[in-house]
Amino acid sequence: MTDPVRPHLPDMIRLSGYLDGELDGATQREMETHLAACPPCAERLAELRALTAAFDALPQDTLGFDLAGMIAGRLAAAPRPSPERPAPRWWGLLPASLGAAAALTLGTGIGSVLIGGGAAMPRMAAMSVFDTLPPGGLCLGPDSCYSKGARK
Amino acid sequence: MGDRPAFERLVRRYQDRVFRFILRMVGIRDEAMDLAQETFLKAYRALPGWRPEARFSTWLFQIARNAALDALRRRRHIDFVSLTSGPDEEAIDPCDTAPLPEELLADKQRIGLLERALRELPVEQREILLLRELEDMSYADIAATLNIEVGTVKSRIARARVAVLAHYRHHAGESCHD
Ligand SMILES: [Zn+2]
Repeated sequence: MTDPVRPHLPDMIRLSGYLDGELDGATQREMETHLAACPPCAERLAELRALTAAFDALPQDTLGFDLAGMIAGRLAAAPRPSPERPAPRWWGLLPASLGAAAALTLGTGIGSVLIGGGAAMPRMAAMSVFDTLPPGGLCLGPDSCYSKGARK
Repeated sequence: MGDRPAFERLVRRYQDRVFRFILRMVGIRDEAMDLAQETFLKAYRALPGWRPEARFSTWLFQIARNAALDALRRRRHIDFVSLTSGPDEEAIDPCDTAPLPEELLADKQRIGLLERALRELPVEQREILLLRELEDMSYADIAATLNIEVGTVKSRIARARVAVLAHYRHHAGESCHD
C-alpha cells in the first residue's frame, strides 16, 4: 500500500472494510489516498459499491398482515415471564412517551412492571436501543417504522 | 396481562424486517412466515433474559437467525460443520478479484443474479451479508448477533462479497482457472 504505482492484488478485506466505514481513522484515510492513485483498487471498490446498490434494489418483501394481531392469542397462552425474576427491563424498549401513556391507560399490569424496575432504567439506555428510530417515534402500523434510512 | 400490548407494538415494529431476513435465509415464503411467528413467540418467552446492554434488534435477529438455521438443518440443506468452520481462513482467490464486465453490474440483471448468488452462498456468508447489506448493522452488532469476533466479521463479509462477485463473473463465463 505504500507504493501505489507498483502493481498489486487489491486487498479485498480492506476495501470491504473501507466501504463499510469500519476501518480505524488512520487506515481509512490511508485507503482514501491509495484509492485516488490506484485505479485497480478503485475499480474493485466500485464493484463493491455496485453490489451494495444491488442489495438496496432487492424487492422489499413484507408479511402483508399484522403478525402482532395474529399471535396475540398465542402470547396469551405463552408462559408469562417469570415473576420471581427481575422485572422485565424490555419495557424500556418503548419510547418513553409511549411507555408513560401506556402505563396510564393499561392499568395495573403495566404499572407494576414500571414500578418493579422498568422505570428505574436510565432513559438514555432505553433510547439507545432504538437508535435507528426517530426520537419518540411511534410505530402505528406494520410498514410505518421500517426504512432503510440514509446510509453511507 | 399488561405487557402484551407493549410487546405487540414491538412485533409490529420489527415484523417485516425479521420476515425479510428469514425469507432470504430459507427462501420459502410460507416457511418464513411461520418462522417469523416462531421468532416473536420465542422472543416473548425469553424477554426476561434480555438486558439493555444488548441491543434489542441484535437480540431479536439472534433468535430469528437460530430459527432459520434450525429450519435449514431440518431440511438438511446445510450440515453442522459448515456453520462452525467457514472459509474465513482461506486466502481470497486472486481470480475472484479480476475486473468484472460492466454490463453485469447493470440494474435488472444484477438483481436476479444477486438473488441467485445469495441462494447459492454458504449459509454463513449469506447471513452475514444480509445483516450488513439489508439490515445495515455495524460490525460490532453483527459480531454480537453471530457470536463471532469483529475481525472475523470483517474478513467474512469481504469473502462473501467476493463470492457474490465471483458468481456474477462465473455467470459471465469468465474464469481464470480454465
Ligand atoms: Zn491498489
